[in-house]
Amino acid sequence: MLEFLHDDLAILSVKEGCGEGECGACTVMLDNKPVNSCLILAVEADGTSIRTVEGEVKDGKLSPLQESFKKNHATQCGFCTPGMIMSAQSLLERNPKPNEEEIKEAIEGNFCRCTGYRQIIDAIFEVTKNAK
Amino acid sequence: MLNHFTYFKPQTESELLEKVKSYGDDTKILAGGTDLLIYMKQGITAPKVLIDVKGISEYSKIVTASDGSISIGASVTCNEVIENECINKHFPVLVEAAKTLGSYQLRNRATVIGNICNASPAADMAGPLLVLGALVIIGNDSGGREILLKDFFIGFKKNILKVDEFVKAIKVPAYFRDAKSGYLKSSRIKGHDLGICNVAMCRVNGTLKVAVGSCAVTPVLLPDFESDRAGTKFVIEAAMNNINPISDIRSSKEYRKHMVKVFIKRLLEKGNSH
Repeated sequence: MLEFLHDDLAILSVKEGCGEGECGACTVMLDNKPVNSCLILAVEADGTSIRTVEGEVKDGKLSPLQESFKKNHATQCGFCTPGMIMSAQSLLERNPKPNEEEIKEAIEGNFCRCTGYRQIIDAIFEVTKNAK
Repeated sequence: MLNHFTYFKPQTESELLEKVKSYGDDTKILAGGTDLLIYMKQGITAPKVLIDVKGISEYSKIVTASDGSISIGASVTCNEVIENECINKHFPVLVEAAKTLGSYQLRNRATVIGNICNASPAADMAGPLLVLGALVIIGNDSGGREILLKDFFIGFKKNILKVDEFVKAIKVPAYFRDAKSGYLKSSRIKGHDLGICNVAMCRVNGTLKVAVGSCAVTPVLLPDFESDRAGTKFVIEAAMNNINPISDIRSSKEYRKHMVKVFIKRLLEKGNSH
């Protein structure tokens, strides 16, 4: 599915890091649940809906989470960012007010080798302040 | 790169039976795929036929029977176990263990049955299911069979299934409902990683059951203890006699043995304080 999205459909946000479900760079939402697209056959996704970070931009506007990543310098090289956003967005949809531990648990399957995670956690946390 | 294969997604059990029977040896059952696809990418296995069981609706269910036993279907994911109300309430050790398996997105695909069928000594769901006396419900052409999980593992990543068999569900008997239980696991990092070792424990009607993972070629269920005789020293001694850990990239065998002792002590203390 990763290959199909990236190579055939040119959805370039979906990245191959490890190809073994460890790093989370290929995370997309399948029927609104985050999954590692590297461990799913494209044919298994038949009849499902797939959400990638491209779909988070609405009418040319970044989502609140994307804005917060930008503001908090949560992106450095950017390789992990699309997958990280999908995991974090899914957390906020299940639990609009997570605590720091819950944020860490939600992104434990997304490796970032640049930021040391602090800015990413801050960015996610900031969005929760505006949540009802 | 993956090898070429034919993909089937049967919608009924009889269709699945028929496919398994006609393709036999070259076939792999696909549920979550979180182990199988890695093996295929690494060239460890190259099946000619993949049979996806996720199309069979009854396999996606967690069913509580009228007697209080639960049955977890072949395509139920670890996150579905974690979110299940009945399992949280009556078999919480399964939730405890499932939470330590992989990462959130992996648990959205990884299935309990897949974790068992893969038969890794480190399988997170094995220990808790062993101490809960779980039964493996096997499908085959001659009407199926049921065996105890402790008899299911027969070697390193080897299970007892014959070529034309598959697992339909795993059942935890009502006898173990509300049993005091616990699961502890050691790993190199706080996040997701294969465990260094793990211990699962459960007390039920005067019997203590203990299972140890990542310390032998299979997950190990120790012989039952009579609860009133099971002092810490006695249980640790029995564990040491039944495990045979190796040193590898994750840990030395000495550290594994040490952590098993620590976990037994902690779980016994936790159990005794309730």
